[in-house]
Amino acid sequence: MSVARPAARRLISGRLAAAVPGAAAAAAATPSTAPCQHVFAHQFHSSAAMAARRRPRFANVRAADMGIMSEKQIDQFTQEKFPKYTDEELALLRTKYSPEQIAALEAGEAAINPRDLTIQGRLRVDPYRVPYIDDFAESQPVIDKRPQNKPPPDPHARFMNMDEFTEDLINWADQFTTGDVTGTLKRLEDFVPDEYKKTPEGRWPGEVRAQAHKDFQRYLQTEVDKQKQNKGVEQEAPDSSGPTDADVLQYILERSAMTDNNLQSNSALALGLPDKVPGVSGLYKNAIDPEDAGLDDIGMYQDLKKRTGMSVKQILAVNVRRLLTRWVSNQTRLGKVRSCWVMCVAGNGDGWLGLGEAKSTEPSVATLKARLLAIQNMRPIRRYEKRTIYGESEVKISGTIVKLMARPPGFGLRVSHRIFEMCRAAGIYDLSARMPRSRNPMNSIKATFQALCNQRDPEEIAMGRGKKMVDARKVYYGGAVF
Amino acid sequence: MGILTITNTCSHLQNATRARLGLTSVPNTKYNLRLALAMHRAGLLSSVTRGGPSPPPTEALSLLETEPVTSANVATRRLWLGLKYWNNEPVIRKVQPISRPSRLVTATAQELGRVARGFPVGSIKGLTLGETLFVSTDRGVLEVREALERKVGGLVLCRVS
Repeated sequence: MSVARPAARRLISGRLAAAVPGAAAAAAATPSTAPCQHVFAHQFHSSAAMAARRRPRFANVRAADMGIMSEKQIDQFTQEKFPKYTDEELALLRTKYSPEQIAALEAGEAAINPRDLTIQGRLRVDPYRVPYIDDFAESQPVIDKRPQNKPPPDPHARFMNMDEFTEDLINWADQFTTGDVTGTLKRLEDFVPDEYKKTPEGRWPGEVRAQAHKDFQRYLQTEVDKQKQNKGVEQEAPDSSGPTDADVLQYILERSAMTDNNLQSNSALALGLPDKVPGVSGLYKNAIDPEDAGLDDIGMYQDLKKRTGMSVKQILAVNVRRLLTRWVSNQTRLGKVRSCWVMCVAGNGDGWLGLGEAKSTEPSVATLKARLLAIQNMRPIRRYEKRTIYGESEVKISGTIVKLMARPPGFGLRVSHRIFEMCRAAGIYDLSARMPRSRNPMNSIKATFQALCNQRDPEEIAMGRGKKMVDARKVYYGGAVF
Repeated sequence: MGILTITNTCSHLQNATRARLGLTSVPNTKYNLRLALAMHRAGLLSSVTRGGPSPPPTEALSLLETEPVTSANVATRRLWLGLKYWNNEPVIRKVQPISRPSRLVTATAQELGRVARGFPVGSIKGLTLGETLFVSTDRGVLEVREALERKVGGLVLCRVS
């Protein structure tokens, strides 16, 4: 060890200062450690410390500085693709939308930086893109909530009593003014003396009220009889007025039975009913979609149907395999809580593959969850000639490396059993695979999925190099390769 | 130095594309120049310019050299290579030297043909999708498919993908 330790070096410098007569005063005047203060950072090896980070002798230029991936290009693209509304466009919009909607539009425009759209947003051009760019002009019943266009319910409404019901019925009948029965019907108040006409029914004396009710009933009976006689006379003439059957049906089905003046509601549920009625909840299932044709009576696939847009028939046609089951445990202070971890693979046999993993204390629940997740996660896999992959694809996850290699027609699947199942689900028929290192089951499945998803696109390679690419096999067989 | 400059250049190019550099430099040697021009022909590099110790200006990148080489400035010359990117991904992903100073690997035209069709020959693995091989022949440094057109073999330099 050739370098002097800091303490030793200080000693040496002190000795040297003492040896030279003039320097002793200078050394006393300044703190003795001053010249070698920076040395106090500990050195653990004998080579000299570098003053700064090593720089290359010949400076390089970053791609961003050359304009290849530059801010200016980003800005230019932003201005081209996401311009602001012009005044004419705004004027047009004002003719179409209300001021509140215009304000909402402007707030939305202000809230989103168009630069973010350039960097993060993406107008997709791949063949699997959604066929529309949604401007939310129309609602989609699967995705959107139903519009709440009715006023909120009356919180003080209660069910009508007998008299209120009668009054409501008369009010309804009064709509049909030209009929024989209705229109000129008297009310209960018309059968009491004048001094009680203004007061509500509850404050009428008992005998007055009884008499009024009796008279009212008699009056109604005579009216009904009169109408019956008229019916007999005018049997031939078609009844062009009065409530039709449809009106009566609408009255029965849709008229509010509450004292809320026939207020229509956004919901079919009565107000004040709890979300789940205790003792009843779970006994009655939701109505199952008749489109399923009885394939999903317990409603297992309803959520998945909404998420994927597939029908139950299509969901059931997907090939799902359970590839891996592990028992995992959570160590708590009360002991180990063991649960089952399941990984499933789903594929339609025609280029779509999905992976789902789920955990539950109950193996059957975990399997079900993993199955549904696998179907939900299905995504397209790039296939060469609908039978193998493009070139080679290698992915490393943890210690597991999976290398997939394309093979000629008729080669078959010379791969390990889990990869075999994945290939079968995805519709790959010629493939060879190597796992040179760890063959951990979970990681090998994950790595295979990633390798299948991240194949290189030969078109992209050709465009990057500025070359024209021709598939020799396709040319040789005149395009009749699959 | 001979083949050692080629192996150094291979490592440097791979490091440079992974660091997303747009322009980088390698020592000015005949071997490097020939390899760089072959890679330029294969569409892997956007420009090859012989310049001084500092990066040449962008407008000079279309030239082969910024100033004529003289005996006075030859020691300071470097080759400035423009790297390519497509869809925010480097065009050169991997550069693997094959011949080393301690082990030179040669291949005949027939052997190169087998390699280009994807079959291994000796220590050279078969080419797969997007891979190219650069060979030093008596017609200069050529990409493997150029060498096959001319029916020449030679010293296998590196594999680029």
